[in-house]
Amino acid sequence: MQFFGGTEISPSPPAPTASGNNAHMLYIFNRNGICLLYREWNRPLKTLSSQQDHKLMFGLLFSLKSLTAKMDPTSVEKGNLGVPQLPGQGCSFHSFRTNTYKLSFMESPSGIKIILVTHPRTGDLRDSLKYIYNLYVEYVVKNPLYSPGSPIRCELFNKTVDQYVRGLG
Amino acid sequence: MVREVAESCVESLMAEIVSSYCKGVYANKPELAAPRIEAIGFQVGHRLSERYTMDRPRFTDHLEAIKFICKDFWSDLFKKQIDNLKTNHRGTFVLQDNRFRWLAHMSVDPSLVTSGSIQDPSAMAENEAAQATGLHLYFPCGIIRGALSNLGIPCAVSADISNLPACSFVVRIKV
Repeated sequence: MQFFGGTEISPSPPAPTASGNNAHMLYIFNRNGICLLYREWNRPLKTLSSQQDHKLMFGLLFSLKSLTAKMDPTSVEKGNLGVPQLPGQGCSFHSFRTNTYKLSFMESPSGIKIILVTHPRTGDLRDSLKYIYNLYVEYVVKNPLYSPGSPIRCELFNKTVDQYVRGLG
Repeated sequence: MVREVAESCVESLMAEIVSSYCKGVYANKPELAAPRIEAIGFQVGHRLSERYTMDRPRFTDHLEAIKFICKDFWSDLFKKQIDNLKTNHRGTFVLQDNRFRWLAHMSVDPSLVTSGSIQDPSAMAENEAAQATGLHLYFPCGIIRGALSNLGIPCAVSADISNLPACSFVVRIKV
């Protein structure tokens, strides 16, 4: 019989080193669930293949969005659970935190989802996610060599995102 | 009265010109797309130079005309001047812009640039990336050629993109 909770002390997460990046991973998905970008700076444990990992992440966020919108105590109209909602409709969740990481999420009106996984003591990252979305618009959408819907392979974008994330508090 | 257009609108339009000429109109013969795009640039440069030299006196020699292109023309078009001008005093001028505005958002696939297990495929991939970027420079080359030809200087213009986002335009005046 397993004993949960009680005297078990959860291991405290490693504090971010000065030399490393302040974030662990970044995902960018488009409206159809295609993972446009996955960048990883600090991920010691990998259990799934990339494909499964991306599908899991997308599915998790899709369900979380739907669930949080339906359980909103302040909203008046409640559709059936599972009905897909337009981005921005209903309440929107923006982060969840565990003892080892914090996941921040942002969805643009065009359906681009940006997910940033950082250490748990990070503050509110909504403005940072907006900034990353701006970088996406500048260096990916406006790049004549990029075709929308395909995985992002723009060196300038990767470089600026890495630089920005390194400077995140 | 000044009429303004969003810069992202102009940039998207130009990216689409290149893409539709290369993949749509001349899909079977991509080498015909470049001169066509350059010709469009020529007409645009012709008209722009008419507009921007309205209140000026005639240019005394080739160097003055090139300096006009580097300073006033470039700042009217791109809000900055040419950073470096070199000449061999025999009709060849190199105009270098350290951060060309229309290339500022362009970048290539990093895996194409750094891959190289076998020498040939990586060189080919790099070449393709360079070619794709080069296609977008025919329009500015045409603009320079059109502007200069309207000032009475027939020439040939080519672009050199060995290090993005800096880009050099080589102007060879036909004597």
